[in-house]
Amino acid sequence: MTTLDRDGALAEAEAGLSRGRFLGLGALAGAGLLLGRAGSARAAGIGAGDRAVLNYALSLEYLQAAFYTEAERANALKGRAAEAAQVVGAVERAHVKAFRALLGAKAIKKPRFDFQGVTEDQKKFLKTAVAFEDLAVEAYKGQAVKIRSDAVLASALGIHTVEARHAAWMRYLNGIQPAVRAFDSPRPRSEIDVVVRKTGFVVAAPRMTARKRRPKYTG
Amino acid sequence: MPLHQRAIDRTSRADLLRGAGVAFAGITALGVARLAGAADRDQDALNLLLMVEYAEVGLYSTALEGNRLTGELRSYARTVLGHERDHLAALKQTLGAAADPEPRQDFAKATRSTEAFADAAGRLEDLAVSAYNGQATGVSKKVFVAAATIVSVEARHAAWIRSIVGRRPAPDATDTPLKRDEVLDGLRDLGVQL
Repeated sequence: MTTLDRDGALAEAEAGLSRGRFLGLGALAGAGLLLGRAGSARAAGIGAGDRAVLNYALSLEYLQAAFYTEAERANALKGRAAEAAQVVGAVERAHVKAFRALLGAKAIKKPRFDFQGVTEDQKKFLKTAVAFEDLAVEAYKGQAVKIRSDAVLASALGIHTVEARHAAWMRYLNGIQPAVRAFDSPRPRSEIDVVVRKTGFVVAAPRMTARKRRPKYTG
Repeated sequence: MPLHQRAIDRTSRADLLRGAGVAFAGITALGVARLAGAADRDQDALNLLLMVEYAEVGLYSTALEGNRLTGELRSYARTVLGHERDHLAALKQTLGAAADPEPRQDFAKATRSTEAFADAAGRLEDLAVSAYNGQATGVSKKVFVAAATIVSVEARHAAWIRSIVGRRPAPDATDTPLKRDEVLDGLRDLGVQL
């Protein structure tokens, strides 16, 4: 059973990745376009509350993207774990890009991370990946009820279930049950923040407001 | 405690009860009267999702009764059937008298072989994710919160069955929502007589 149409599935998966990267960006960029041509949160008329949620989601996506990207670069993972890091990393980077595009100048900056060698050890990598993905599911679910804009909500929900897929994927690779409970609980930001802080992975916090003094050059 | 240890420890039955209890106690307390009256949107959404859960319970029950599944696929089907039964019970309880009746279902084709079952389960779980995501906007906050506790479990199931058969568990950067008619078409394709 484990090799059911494996070649076909891999070919499909390759197609799926590129399609997904565009679709993923498309949904969020679409939200931006629906709300304002400039695509920035301010121009789009996204309220301060939604902006805070989006920036919070961005901070989690920064963490995940950096984690998988570093794992891919360290090149210490093997087999399916290496493939998963590559695929999930590309998706998390797409999430970062989409949130940044939506927030425009209001997007928080990327913090600095130190994963303390976890990305260079297959066992530690998988366990941490499981923890990150389960945490992301709880975080998105906790934030979703606060979102006012339907377009932003639809985008966040589409990402929420992808994080759940990642969680199950990493659990499977780690040899633990992908879906333990019938219901997944939300978790408030205060609790998520404590867990993230305790890892010590974030070594320099991002600025929560956009810099005003330095001129920004784009393009 | 290291992050990974903490996360793994959290998967306890207490969490299950907390998630299900809190979310559904909230909507059930509102009662059928409210659902039957002002919140037609809630009722329509919940009844569509009820059809999805009926299909899931039906598919896994039929497959397990057929006694053809072994190993990983069997333990997947048993675990997931338990989850889907809990989802079905929660939705039925919430809808009360407003719940639509169970549709006629024929999963003989979808369970004629282990390959057919794995394919059908993968399609149905992906469909469930898109169905829940598609119904999430425009419903009351209580229904939204309750549905949100289920949709990520459906996504976990989808990734699980995809992992078992060697398909990519998360093929896209975002899960696309499906409209009501698309969900019904998907269910019909799998053997639900709607």
